[in-house]
Amino acid sequence: MSHCHTCAPALEKKQVVPAGRSVILVGNPNVGKSVLFGALTGKYVTVSNYPGTTVEVTRGSATIAGEAWHVMDTPGTNNLLPMSEDEQVTRDILMSERGYSCLQVCDAKNLRRGLLLAVQLAEAEVPFVLALNMYDEALGRGIAVDHARLSEALGVEVVPTVAVQRKGLPQLAEALAKARASRFLVRYDDAVEAAVAEVVPLLPGHGGLGKRALALMALVGDESLAAQLAGRMSPAQLAVLDEARRRLAARYPESLRFVISRQRLAAVDRLHDAVLTRAGGTSLGSSFARRLGGWATHPVLGLPFLLAVLFVCYEFVGVFGAKTAVDFLENTVFYEHLVPWFDRLVRLLVPGGAVQTFLVGPAGVPFREHGGLLVGRYGIVSMGLSYGMAIVLPIVTTFFIAFSFLEDSGYLPRLAVMVNKLFKRMGLNGKAVLPMVLGLGCDTMATMTARIMETRKERVIVTLLLALAVPCSAQLAVIFAMLGGVTPVAAAWFAGTVLLVLFLVGWLAAKVIPGRGSDFMLELPPLRLPQAGNIAVKTLARIEWYLREALPLFILGTLILWGLDRVHGIALLEKLAAPVVVGLLHLPKEAATAFILGFLRRDYAAAGLFLHYEPFMKAGTMTREMNIEVTVALVTITLFIPCIANFFMILKERGWRTGVGVAGFILPFAIGVGATVNVLMRWLY
Amino acid sequence: MGAPAPRRREVSCPLCGTSFDPEGLGCRPSCPLAKGCRVVCCPSCSYSFPQETGLAGLLRGLLERRHHDKEHP
Repeated sequence: MSHCHTCAPALEKKQVVPAGRSVILVGNPNVGKSVLFGALTGKYVTVSNYPGTTVEVTRGSATIAGEAWHVMDTPGTNNLLPMSEDEQVTRDILMSERGYSCLQVCDAKNLRRGLLLAVQLAEAEVPFVLALNMYDEALGRGIAVDHARLSEALGVEVVPTVAVQRKGLPQLAEALAKARASRFLVRYDDAVEAAVAEVVPLLPGHGGLGKRALALMALVGDESLAAQLAGRMSPAQLAVLDEARRRLAARYPESLRFVISRQRLAAVDRLHDAVLTRAGGTSLGSSFARRLGGWATHPVLGLPFLLAVLFVCYEFVGVFGAKTAVDFLENTVFYEHLVPWFDRLVRLLVPGGAVQTFLVGPAGVPFREHGGLLVGRYGIVSMGLSYGMAIVLPIVTTFFIAFSFLEDSGYLPRLAVMVNKLFKRMGLNGKAVLPMVLGLGCDTMATMTARIMETRKERVIVTLLLALAVPCSAQLAVIFAMLGGVTPVAAAWFAGTVLLVLFLVGWLAAKVIPGRGSDFMLELPPLRLPQAGNIAVKTLARIEWYLREALPLFILGTLILWGLDRVHGIALLEKLAAPVVVGLLHLPKEAATAFILGFLRRDYAAAGLFLHYEPFMKAGTMTREMNIEVTVALVTITLFIPCIANFFMILKERGWRTGVGVAGFILPFAIGVGATVNVLMRWLY
Repeated sequence: MGAPAPRRREVSCPLCGTSFDPEGLGCRPSCPLAKGCRVVCCPSCSYSFPQETGLAGLLRGLLERRHHDKEHP
């Protein structure tokens, strides 16, 4: 970056005044666009809502290379095919303004995303300059962009900048004065190119965006654009456009938005790989990685890929984590050393009397046979801490290691794409898939993302699907652990049932949410060999998060049980739940408390069940009856009402009526499916 | 442009790869059980994951220093 000096102020600032030339700042969200806008214009700006929206647009003035310029900032966008109101405002500004140049601000660390927008500006024949912002941070991460080569390939000026330090601004000012349209052209397949050629002559000729870009937008069926075109094209022209779109769409199983985006991304990938070098990267060999990546996202080939990944997770979490690690922590660390040591410590500090008995029970009586508050049947240390630290912690730790490996390898986003393809084949709106994939991280947070759905009905259905059949990471971990103790056939019963429910409910949802809707757009990072250090950091971050979030709830749950035990409430609870738990689901009566406390944390519920069957799993003496019981219990708990955090989020996001309605549907539904699996397994298993 | 300036600690989204400053992107205001929660939401794809603070932050700092020392002995 030889021509980038630490700068003296090169751009004079003044109040917003009429100006001869104008520049529009565009860029992805969070790339430092507003900082650059501030550096160009100073503090004299006007902020107003874009007509008909609540989206704010900022305008200002600057003197660039001796000329007065009007400067406009736009909301962050990833695509000129809008997926949100913000993106639509940016696209509409570019379409309605005349005679402007664009300053595209791109995060040099996320070049691929920036290039996706750059090639669309090129398609739109907009004169522009590309600022590679945060260039110092990219260098710090070992990312180097050959900006001269990028400039040559795009045919526009490319300037590395560090906006917060005003570095690169004089060069940017010089470049802006000679902004020009890019000569970079994405060549689509013959059918798309033929359709573009047919549509271009029909389109109105006066607009900020070139006809090729408008033709591509019109072909993908952008509704916001259709409304604008309707007033400027004759009914006959609109009919020809519609026919061209229908003919083109019939050639592909996917939506045209997806087809065009995929071909555009392929061109961006080639450009990206040609100009970017990454020091110390451990990407898999590029052609092999691309092929592997292709299999991982394929709706058919992706399934064996997914099964292989699940099998490895099952072995690592269900066998190593749930058996070896739990055995050591639970029996050796907790019950042989920690609990007796704590018991002795309390007896030493609180000698004799009722207080000692209240805390750790009568001396000489095994802790599982008394009701001590700290050490006892439902003791905070002997149950709450041991559930959290000795049973669930080793399980979630192994799962977090596996999950971090999947994230860092680049497989997780590919799984999202594959699931998206499967759901789309079922006819489900593409937007509905994203919250469900995000649910694998945390269902509570994913519930919030259901906001992206357009209608209330859609939001409710996505919320329901999330609460019903998408297990969060902690729950997935204990599912793997429990499955490690049953036969492969019983594990297949569980997986088959949950998948069947998910697809059945998804299919029904597709009936209620018809149409292709918006597509799921996700940039796929390259497949990489994960680094041990990164996995250690991520796992540690997740363990800390788990301990802070889950452990207090485990202790609260234990206190509730302890309190109920003192007033003989547990026996009453088990008696009340017996018709369902014992009569309908054929589970041991103790499972009732697990189900009820599962409302606090689903992993808490599973930990109780795990402990119940653990001796038999370890000894390899699980009977047919027990295999059925574990499968039925797991199916019911997986489909059971969401944890308390998720439930409150549903109430907050969707209102109490919907929240109670969702819970009111899920409760009998989960028990009904559990009872059906119980009957079928006893007959067929 | 010379040596990289001291930078804010950024995080990289495990789902879509976007690098971003987690400041202000925590999910806490919207979650009813979020007091002290360190989950952060990616501004690009909304994927949520825990921030690398505490011990994880220390380990990340240690690894970055080792990496830096190796690159610039």
